[in-house]
Amino acid sequence: MVAQPKQAAPAPTSEYVLEAKNITVRFPIEHGADVVAVRNFNLQVKPGEFVGLMGQPSCGKSTAAMAMLGLVRPPGVIDSGVVNFMGRNLLTMMEDDVRELRGRDIGMIVQNPRYSLHPMLRVGDQIANVYRAHNQVTKGEAWKHAIDMLRMVGINDPERRVKAYAHELSSGMAQRVLIAIALSSRPRLLIADEPTSGLDVTIQAQFLDQMWDACRQTKSAVLLVSQNLGIMANYCDRILIMNEGTLVEEADVYSFFKAPKHEYSRSILRLQRAAIESGGADAAHIDEKAAPLIEVKDLSKLFPIRHSKSKVHAAENINFFIRPGETLGLVGESGSGKTTVGRCVLRLIEPTGGEILFRNRQANQVERVTDYSTNEMRRKRAKLQIVFQDPLDSLDPRWTVDRVLREPLDLHTDMTNEQKKARVIELMKLVGLEGAHYYALPREMSAGRQQRVSIARAIALNPDFIVLDEPTSALTPETTAEIIRLLMDLSAKLGIAYLFISHDLTTVKFICHRVAVMYLGQMVEIGSKDQVFNSPRHPYARALLSAYLFPSTDNRRVDRTVRETLKGEIPSPVTENLPKGCYLYGRCTSQVDRCKSAPQQLTQLSDGRWVRCWRVAQGEI
Amino acid sequence: MTAENPQTRHTPTPEDLDQHIQPHMVIEGIPTKRHTIDIVRKFKEEGLFRFGCLVIMTTMGLAIFGWLDHYDIYRLWPFDPNRATGNVSVEPPGFLEIPGLLWKTVILGHEPPHWFGTDNAGLDVFSRTLAAPRTDMTIAIVAAFLSMFIGTAFGLVAGFYRNALTEFLMRISDLLQAFPVFITAMILVALSGRNEFNIILALALVYTPIFIRLTRAEVMGQAVRGYVESARAVGNPQWRVAFGHVLPNSLVPSLVQISTTVGFAILLTSGLSFVGAGVRPPTPEWGLMIALGADHIILGEWWGSIFPGVAIALTVFGFAAVGHGLEEDYR
Amino acid sequence: MVGRFIAKRVFLAIFQLFGITIAVFFGIRALPADPVARLVGINASPEAVQQARESLGLHETKLQQLFNYLGVWSTSGKPGIFQGDLGVSWVTNSRVWDECIRFLPVTLEFITYALIIAFIIAVPLGMSSATKPGGAADRFTFVWGLFAGSQPEFWWGLMFVFFFFFQLNQWDLPHAPAPLGRLTPLTTEPPPITGFILVDSLLRWDFKVLFEAAHHLMLPTFTLVFVVSGAITKMVRQNMVRVVQSDYILYARSAGLSRRKVALYALRASMAPAMTLTAIIYGFLLGGAVPVELIYSLGGIGQYSIRSILQFDYPAIQATVLVIAMVSLIIYLVIDILHAVIDPRITF
Repeated sequence: MVAQPKQAAPAPTSEYVLEAKNITVRFPIEHGADVVAVRNFNLQVKPGEFVGLMGQPSCGKSTAAMAMLGLVRPPGVIDSGVVNFMGRNLLTMMEDDVRELRGRDIGMIVQNPRYSLHPMLRVGDQIANVYRAHNQVTKGEAWKHAIDMLRMVGINDPERRVKAYAHELSSGMAQRVLIAIALSSRPRLLIADEPTSGLDVTIQAQFLDQMWDACRQTKSAVLLVSQNLGIMANYCDRILIMNEGTLVEEADVYSFFKAPKHEYSRSILRLQRAAIESGGADAAHIDEKAAPLIEVKDLSKLFPIRHSKSKVHAAENINFFIRPGETLGLVGESGSGKTTVGRCVLRLIEPTGGEILFRNRQANQVERVTDYSTNEMRRKRAKLQIVFQDPLDSLDPRWTVDRVLREPLDLHTDMTNEQKKARVIELMKLVGLEGAHYYALPREMSAGRQQRVSIARAIALNPDFIVLDEPTSALTPETTAEIIRLLMDLSAKLGIAYLFISHDLTTVKFICHRVAVMYLGQMVEIGSKDQVFNSPRHPYARALLSAYLFPSTDNRRVDRTVRETLKGEIPSPVTENLPKGCYLYGRCTSQVDRCKSAPQQLTQLSDGRWVRCWRVAQGEI
Repeated sequence: MTAENPQTRHTPTPEDLDQHIQPHMVIEGIPTKRHTIDIVRKFKEEGLFRFGCLVIMTTMGLAIFGWLDHYDIYRLWPFDPNRATGNVSVEPPGFLEIPGLLWKTVILGHEPPHWFGTDNAGLDVFSRTLAAPRTDMTIAIVAAFLSMFIGTAFGLVAGFYRNALTEFLMRISDLLQAFPVFITAMILVALSGRNEFNIILALALVYTPIFIRLTRAEVMGQAVRGYVESARAVGNPQWRVAFGHVLPNSLVPSLVQISTTVGFAILLTSGLSFVGAGVRPPTPEWGLMIALGADHIILGEWWGSIFPGVAIALTVFGFAAVGHGLEEDYR
Repeated sequence: MVGRFIAKRVFLAIFQLFGITIAVFFGIRALPADPVARLVGINASPEAVQQARESLGLHETKLQQLFNYLGVWSTSGKPGIFQGDLGVSWVTNSRVWDECIRFLPVTLEFITYALIIAFIIAVPLGMSSATKPGGAADRFTFVWGLFAGSQPEFWWGLMFVFFFFFQLNQWDLPHAPAPLGRLTPLTTEPPPITGFILVDSLLRWDFKVLFEAAHHLMLPTFTLVFVVSGAITKMVRQNMVRVVQSDYILYARSAGLSRRKVALYALRASMAPAMTLTAIIYGFLLGGAVPVELIYSLGGIGQYSIRSILQFDYPAIQATVLVIAMVSLIIYLVIDILHAVIDPRITF
C-alpha cells in the first residue's frame, strides 16, 4: 500500500532522531532593532518519543519547531546552531536534500489547518503532490494513496472527501487532512504545532487519540508544540518549557507536574495547583435556602435563517436559578448555545420564549425581566451586567479608560464631575489598575488590563448579577489566574452573583459553586460542582469530562484502558439536522432504540442534580 | 464572605459618594491628558508623508493668494494672470540667466521678467501657474468634502437601517458607479454650463458613491463589534450607541479617503478643461493652460504646457502620499 | 451551474443597462442645456427653432420622448432601442450605432494593448518585489505605484509627443510620428474587419500598414502603460506578499514540495485579485482615456463622446454612455467567470 521511498533513509548514527543545538532565529526589522525570536535552543528527541514544547503565545515555540525543518517564516533567518536529523545537519545540507527529508522523514502539522491547505486545490491533489514529491508513483497511485490515508486518519467517506476543497471542511477535518499529508510517507518524526487550537474538547480528544495511535503504528517520534498544559500532561513523555525565546526548563512529564523547578513554570502552574489543592471556591457562605436572585424558566431562542423555513435552535427550554453571591458555571462546546443563554438573560438578544425573573432587593420584590419596557431594561442594566470574551474588542477603540468607566456613571447617576472622577479612581483600584492607565487607550494596555477595565465598568454601579462570557479565554494562563482571583475577590467583597460561561473546565472547577452542562442548545446536566466534576451522570457530560485534559498526570488519558469519547462531530443546530429524540442520539455510546424517537426531559435525581437522560433517571446507566 | 445587607446596596447617589472623595483617592500617578496626534509624529518621521504635507500646504497657501488676487487685495506674483501682457510667446530665461535676473528684480527693483515665459496670447505662465490653485484646489476640495458629507450621511443611514428604502438607495448608488466617470463628468459640466460651480456639483456627484459604499461597509462592520454590544449592555439608548460609538469609529475610512479623492478631483478638473469641457479661458487653471499650450508643443513651444503639468503632477502626488500615509496607519 | 450563473448575470446586466438608459435620458434632459439653439444657431427665427424641435421630436412630452427612444408606444414611426436602433445623430444624421461601432474598436485596441503590456510588466515586477521585501525592486514598485497612479496622463502624453516627436526630430534622430491619427494622413485606412488595425493588417498580410499602425500606436499605448502599470504592479505585489507569507505556502514548503511546485501554488493563489483589478481599470479607461485619444487624434469612442457632448448631440451622448457601460459589464462578467473557474471558493 505504501510505496517504497525513493531511497532508503540512512541508518541512524546517533541515539536521537533529532538533535538541535544552540539554535538562534532572528527577524530583521526595518528601521529598528532585530527581534531574536529563539535564542540558544537545544532539543533532543529519541525514536518513538512524545516530546512536548510549551510556552505562552508568541514565545518563539512555533518558530523553534519550524527551525527544526530548517525553515523560517519570511523575513526571518536562522543565525546559528545545528539541527542533526538522523545524524545529518539539516542547516548545512543542500536545499534539495533537505527538501527530500521534509515531508518524507519529518512530517509537520500546524495550527490553522484550514489556512494551511491551499484554498484552490482539492485536498486529494495536495496529499498526492506531497506523496509524489517523495515517492516514485503515478498520479493514479498517489490519488489512491490519498484516499487510503484519509481513511486511516478517521475521515468518513474518503472517496468523496478527497475531492473537497479546504473551505468545505470543518477545522477538525482539515486537521486530519494535514495529518494524512504528514504521515503519508511514514515519517520518523512528526512535528505538531498547536494541532488542536480551535477544536472543541471532544473533537480534540478524538484527534489526539487518533494521532497517538497512528504514530504508535508508524513508530514515529512526535514533537508536540502547545500552550495547553492539559495536552502536555496527558500525551507527552517529556516536556520543555520556553519563555521569551529561551528554554527555561526541561523535565520528565511526571516530575514536572509534581515539582516544577523554574519560577516561570511554577507561575504557569499556579492556578491549576490552587484549583487542585484547595478545590477553589467553597460554597459554605452561600445560603442554600436563600431565594434565587435570577431565575430562568423555559428560556428558548430560535434564530431565523434567511430564505428558509428552518431555524437555528440556539437555546431550548433552559431552566436554572442563581442565588445571591453564587457562581453558576455554564459549560459546553462551541455551538452549544451557552453564549446565547448569557445574552438572553440580559436581553441583549431578545429570547423567543420563556421568562426571566429577577429579585429586586431594594424593592424586595420579584420582577419579570422579560416584561421590562426598553427604557426600564436600560435602567436595570445598572444592576445586571456582563463581561465579554474579547477584552480589546469590547472597549471602544477611541475611548480612554476614564471615559469608558465614566459612561455608566453618566448614564445612570447624577454625580458631579469630581464625584465621577473619584468613583473611576476607586473602581480602578478595586480591579488593580494603576493611576497611570487613567488616560490609556485600550490598544495601549495588555489583554489582562483591558479585561480589568471591562470588569471595572461592569461593577461601576454595584450590580447584583454579572454574566461572565468566557472572560479568560483570550488570556494567557498567568493572566487567567489573576483575573479569576480578582473575580472571586469581587464576588466576596460585593456579593455579586455570576453566570460564568466557559469551555475551560479548569477555571470553572475553580470559581464555580454549581455547574450546568449544555449540548446543542439544551441543558443536559446541572448540579453542584462536585457532582458534575467528580461523578457526571449524563453520557455527554461524562464524555466531556473524560475528554477534557486536566493539567495533571494522575489518570493520564493515554494510560486509560477505556477512553470515553463520542462518535462523529456536533451536528449544526438547525431544525432539520436535529435528531427527533435525544439530541445525542447517533453519538452516544449507551444509546438504545428508544432514544431515537423519545425526546428527553430534564429530571431531578435523588441527589438533587438534574439530568436530561431517561436511562440515567431510571438508573439504567 | 462579607454578605452586605441588601438594603444598603443601591446605585450610588451623590451624597453616597461624597464620603469617597478623600485626598488619598485623587492622587498617584495620573498623567495629564495627552494631546499627541499621530499626524505630528508621522510628519516628523516619514519623508514621503512630510513631502505630501508640504505640497498640500503650499498649494493651499497659493489658493488663498489666488483669491486675494482675484479680489484685487494683494498680488503675490508679478503679472495679472487674466490679462495679456502684449509679449507673445516669450521663451523663459535660461538657467544661467536666472541669478542675474533675480539680482535685478529683487535687489534693483527692475520690471520682473517672464520666469516661465508667456503663451501665444501673451499671458504670463509663471503668474498663471501660481494663481491656478485658486481654481483647481477650490473646486477639488469643495467637491471632495461635499461628496464626503453627502456620502457619509447616506452611508450611515444605509448601514444603520437595512430596509427596502436603503436597499433602493444602494442600487441607485451602484448604478451611478456603473457610469464612466470621466464622460459623466463631461456631460454634466458641458450640458449645465461650463463654470466652477457646475464642475463642483458634477465632481461631487461622481465621487459620492465611493463614500456611501465606504461608510456603509464600515458601519456594518463596526455594528457587530464587541464594544457596540458593550455599549448596549452598559445601558446606552440606541441613539447614543449609534452616534456616540458607531459613528465616530465609522468615519475613519472616509477621512482617510478624502486626501486621495482631492487628488483625483484635481486630475479630473484639469482633464475636463483639457478636453474643453471645463472652466472657460482665460481662468487660470492648470488643465486649461496645458490645453492652450498643447497646440504649440509640436512647434517646440514647450513652456506653456510643461509648468502647469509639473504643478499638477506634484500636487496630486502630494495628496496621494498623504492619503497613502493615512491609509497605512488606519488599516 | 455556470450557465445559470451567466444567465443570471446577463439578466442583471440588461436590467442595469436599462437603468442607465433611463437615467441618462432624463439626466441630460434635466440639465439646463438648449440643444435646439445650439443646432440652429442663436439668431434663428422662432419658426426655424420650432421646426427643428419637431423634427428632433422634442415637442413631445419627456415621457413620450422616452417611449419613442425605447421604441414602445412610439409616435415617431421610427424604430427604438427595443428594435435594436439607438437613433440618428442630430449633427451628422447617420445612425449612432454605426458610428459607435466604427469608433469603439479604436479605443478598445489601444487600451487592450496597454493593459496587456502593463500586466506583462507588472506580474514579474510585483512578484520579484514580493519575494524580497525591502529590496530595490520593492522600493521602486512602491514609489512607482504611488507616483504613476497620481499623474495627469494627458500631460505626460504631451510631454512624450514633445520629446519623442519634436525633440528627436530636431536632433535628426529616429522619432515618433506626428500625433495625427492611427496612420499618416496620406495612407488610406483599409476597410475594417475586426476594427483592430493591427489585427486587420495582419489578417490582410499588409505589413506596410501593420508597421505604420504599430508606429502610430506606440506612444498612446506607452502613455497608458505608464499610468496604469503602477497600480497593477502594486496590486500584484500586495497579493504576492500576502500569499508568500501565508500558512499554506509555508506548509507546502515544510512538506518538501519542489521550488517549482511551490511557486505554482503561489502564482495560482495571487492571480485572481490582479485580474479583477485589471478589469476594473479596463472599464475605467474606456471612458477615461479620452484626453489621450484627443492628444494623438486617434478618433476613438472617447473623442466621439467629446464631440457629441460639446455639440449637444443627445442620441450620440446616450449611445456612447450605453456602449461604454455595456462593454465594461461584459468585461466584468468575463472576469467573474474566469475568477470562478480558478477559485473554487466562489460559488455560482
